[in-house]
Amino acid sequence: MKSSIPSQMLASELEEIVGEAHISTKETDKLVYSTDWFWVPQMFLDRGEAITTPDYIVRPGSAEEISRILKLASAYRVPVVPWGGGSGSQGGALPIYGGILLDTKRLDQIIDIDEVSLTVTAQAGINGAQLEWELNEKGLTLPHYPASANCATLGGYLAPRGSGTLSTKYGKAEDLVLGMEVVLPNGDIIRTPPVPQHAAGPDFYRLFLGSEGTFGVITEATMQLDYLPETRLFRAVLFDDLHNAIEAGRLMMTRRLDPTVIRLYDSKSTASRIKRILGHDLDGAYMVLGFDGDPDIAALQEQKAMEICLELNARDLGREPGEAWWEHRYDFYYPPQNLKLPWMYGTTETVATFDKIEKLYYAEKEAVEQQFKEWKVDFIAHFSHWFHWGSMIYSRFIIEEPPEDPREALELHNRVWQAAMTAVLENGGMVNEHHGVGLKLARYMRRQYGDAWPFLESLKRAIDPSGIMNPGKVGFGVG
Amino acid sequence: MKLNNPIDTVENCRYCLMCRHVAPVGHITKDETLTPHGIALTVASQRRGLIQWNRETVAVIYSEPDGGNCRAHCITDQPLPEAIAAVRAELTAQDLAPAIVYRVHEALEKWHTPFGEERLAPATGRAEVALFVGDEAHYLWPSALEGALKLLEAVGLRPTLIGRGRSSGYLASSLGFPETATRQGQELLAELSASGASRLLVLSPGDYFTFNQLYPERLGIALPPEVALNDVASVLAEALADGRLPLRASEEPTPYAYVDPTHAVRVPQRFDAPRALVGAVMPSAPLELFWRRERAHPVGSTALQFTRPELADALTRARLEDAKNRGAELLICEDPGSLYQLKQHAGALSLRVKGLYELLAEHIAC
Repeated sequence: MKSSIPSQMLASELEEIVGEAHISTKETDKLVYSTDWFWVPQMFLDRGEAITTPDYIVRPGSAEEISRILKLASAYRVPVVPWGGGSGSQGGALPIYGGILLDTKRLDQIIDIDEVSLTVTAQAGINGAQLEWELNEKGLTLPHYPASANCATLGGYLAPRGSGTLSTKYGKAEDLVLGMEVVLPNGDIIRTPPVPQHAAGPDFYRLFLGSEGTFGVITEATMQLDYLPETRLFRAVLFDDLHNAIEAGRLMMTRRLDPTVIRLYDSKSTASRIKRILGHDLDGAYMVLGFDGDPDIAALQEQKAMEICLELNARDLGREPGEAWWEHRYDFYYPPQNLKLPWMYGTTETVATFDKIEKLYYAEKEAVEQQFKEWKVDFIAHFSHWFHWGSMIYSRFIIEEPPEDPREALELHNRVWQAAMTAVLENGGMVNEHHGVGLKLARYMRRQYGDAWPFLESLKRAIDPSGIMNPGKVGFGVG
Repeated sequence: MKLNNPIDTVENCRYCLMCRHVAPVGHITKDETLTPHGIALTVASQRRGLIQWNRETVAVIYSEPDGGNCRAHCITDQPLPEAIAAVRAELTAQDLAPAIVYRVHEALEKWHTPFGEERLAPATGRAEVALFVGDEAHYLWPSALEGALKLLEAVGLRPTLIGRGRSSGYLASSLGFPETATRQGQELLAELSASGASRLLVLSPGDYFTFNQLYPERLGIALPPEVALNDVASVLAEALADGRLPLRASEEPTPYAYVDPTHAVRVPQRFDAPRALVGAVMPSAPLELFWRRERAHPVGSTALQFTRPELADALTRARLEDAKNRGAELLICEDPGSLYQLKQHAGALSLRVKGLYELLAEHIAC
C-alpha cells in the first residue's frame, strides 16, 4: 500500500480523526509495534529478520474516535488490530496483514469508583498497575493480579479472558466484569446491561470476552472490586508425588475452602524454578497455599487445608517459603531470570476437569519429552488456577539450542506445539486457559470446537462482515 | 565499579515490559516506542541491521529522560539508563546526535553549564564539610542555596562551597559525552580534595545519585572512601528529629503538595526526610501526588529539556496537573532544577511553587 493514493487518503483521514500527534508511520514505531510477546516474531527480530509491520499506528482518545476509525477501515477494507499493553504471548496483537494498529492506551481514565457497590468503571486502555494503585488509595483492589499487570491494560485483561494469581478465589478477569462499552466493527458504540446476572435474554456481552478484538474494540468496563484483605496467609508444603498433591487441591476446592492460591509445581519446576528464584533445594511437588480476608476465617481455612495436605503425606514447610513465593511471584518474569532468546520456549497451558487432569499432564509431558528428546527439551509445569471442578496446567517447553535458521526454528516450534496440543485435545483438555488464542492457537480452534466452530464463524461474519477486525486471530480467517 | 558493556543491557530489556507502569515518557505519550522496552528494542534492532540511525531513530534514543524509573523498579537491576547513555556516546562520537546536543556540549565545555556564561573558579576555602552547589542552584534557583546555608548554620554546619555554577557531569554523561563528564567529575573531586572536607553535602537526589552511582558506574571515578556523602534534606531531618533544628509552624493555609524531585526514585532511602521537614512547618498535612515516592516521575529537569523539550514540558505539566487534581495550590520541592521547571508552567494552572529550603529557613525558630 505504500505510496498509493488510497494509503495517503487513509492516512490523511485518520489524522483528521485523531490529530497529527496521535498517528504515526515512523519506522521505529512500526518496528516496535510489529511484535508482542509471542516467541515467533521476537525470534525473527532477534535473528535480524524484518517482519510485517502495521502501516499506521493510531492512538485514539475516545470511543467516538474509535468508531470513526472503524467506519473508515470498513470503507477502505483495511485491517484493524487493537493493542493494549502488547504483553500477549499468543500473537493476538500482531499486525500480520499490516493495516491500522489501534493503540488504546490514551483511553486511560477512571470514570467512577462506587465505594458502596464496590465497582470501578474505567476506560479500557488504563494500565493495570496504575488502576490498582488508584484503588488501593481507597482501600480497594481489583483482585486480578496477572504477572502482566505492570504492562497490561484493562481491555487486555478482558479480551483474551485472562487469569490472575488469585483467580482461584476471585475468578478470572471475565468473572469480575459487570459490563462493558464496545465499539463494533461497523462503528456502532454499544453498552452491555448494567449487571451481568439477569434473565433479560442471552449474555451477549460474553461474546466480547475472548474475542481478542475480532468482534470489536472494548473501550470501557465496569469491574467488581474487593476491599484490600485484612490478612493474607501463605504457606508452603511439599508432596512426594504429584498425585497426592492434585488430590489435596481437589479436596480443598470441592470442600469449598476458598483458597486464594493453590500453586502446585511439578518436581522439575520445583528443582529448577523454585530453587533458582526462592533458593529452596527440594525434591518433590512444591505447593503454595494462600488464604485471605477476615483473619479468623482465613486461619481456619488454612488449618483445614493443612489437615488435608498432612493427611496426604505432605511435609509442612512453614510460612516463610509461602510468603517468599508471594513476595517474589513476578521475579520469574524479569530478565535474565525469565525465559529468553535465543532459547525456544512456549507456554502450553490447558485446563480440564479433575478426573482428567493428572492423565492430561502426563500425556502432554510424555508427548513433548519423547518426541523432542533429540532437542534436549525441558518440560516444566505448575498447576496454578483451580476451580470447583478442575484445574489448569501451566506447562512450558524450553529448548536451549534451537535451530539458528529462523524458518527451521519456526518449524520446530510449531511441531512442539502440535505435539502438545494433540495430547491436550486427545485427553480432554482445552487448548488454553487464560493466554488467549491469538495467532498461535488459531489453527486448533476448528478441532477444539468441532461442530460448533461453523456457528462461531457465522457469528464473526455477522458482526464483522468486512472482516477488518484483527484478521487471522482466534481462528477466524485461517484454516 | 564501572559497568562493562552497558549497551548489552538492551538484550535483556528489549522484550521486558515489567517497568512499563512507571515509565514516565511512555505514560505521557502512550507511545510504545518511547518506553524502556521500545528504546531497548530500537537499539537492539539497529545492532542487527533492522534499522539505521537517522534523525527519526536517534530522536527515540534522546527521548529517554534518564530519571532512573526503569532501573529503580527492576528486580534484577538492569542498567538501561546507563546503556542508553552509552548508546548516546556512540552517536555523539559518530556525529549522529541532534544539533542541540552539540550546542549544549559546547556550553558545558566553555562554561561548565548550559545555564550561564561565566566560568567560576573552583573554591579555595577549607572546611570539614563541603556543599556541592552545581549549576542549577547557582543559576536557576539560587534561593535554595541561601536557604540551605541558613539551615545548615542553624544545626552547626558551615560548609565550604564547591562546584559553584558548574555541572556535576551528569548532563554531559546523559547527553553522550562521557569524557567531558569524567573531566568535570574529576575537577570536582579535585576541588573537594583541596577543601579538605571529609563530608560532602548535596542539595538534591540528582546530585546524590551522580556522586554515589553515576561517577563509579558510568565514568569509573569515585568519591574518596573517607568522604561521607549526605543529602541536605536528610541531614536536616535528622537534626529535626533529635531537636537540633527548631522550626516554628507556618500560618500558610494554602493546600499544598510535596513534589518528589527528578531522580527521587534513585535515592529511595530519603523519601521521608523532606516530608518530615515540610510537616514540621506547614499547619496541615500535605496532599500526596499520585506519582510520588518510589513511583515519582521526573519533573522534566533532565537532558530532556534540551533534547526533547516538548516531552520535558509535558512531564512538568503532568506533575502540576497531578497536584492540581489533588487539590493543591502550592507545590514544595527542594531540587533547584525541578523547582525551575515547575515554576515555568505553574502559573498556567494557578499554582505556586516554593523551595523547601527557603520555606524552612523562613521558619527557623530563633
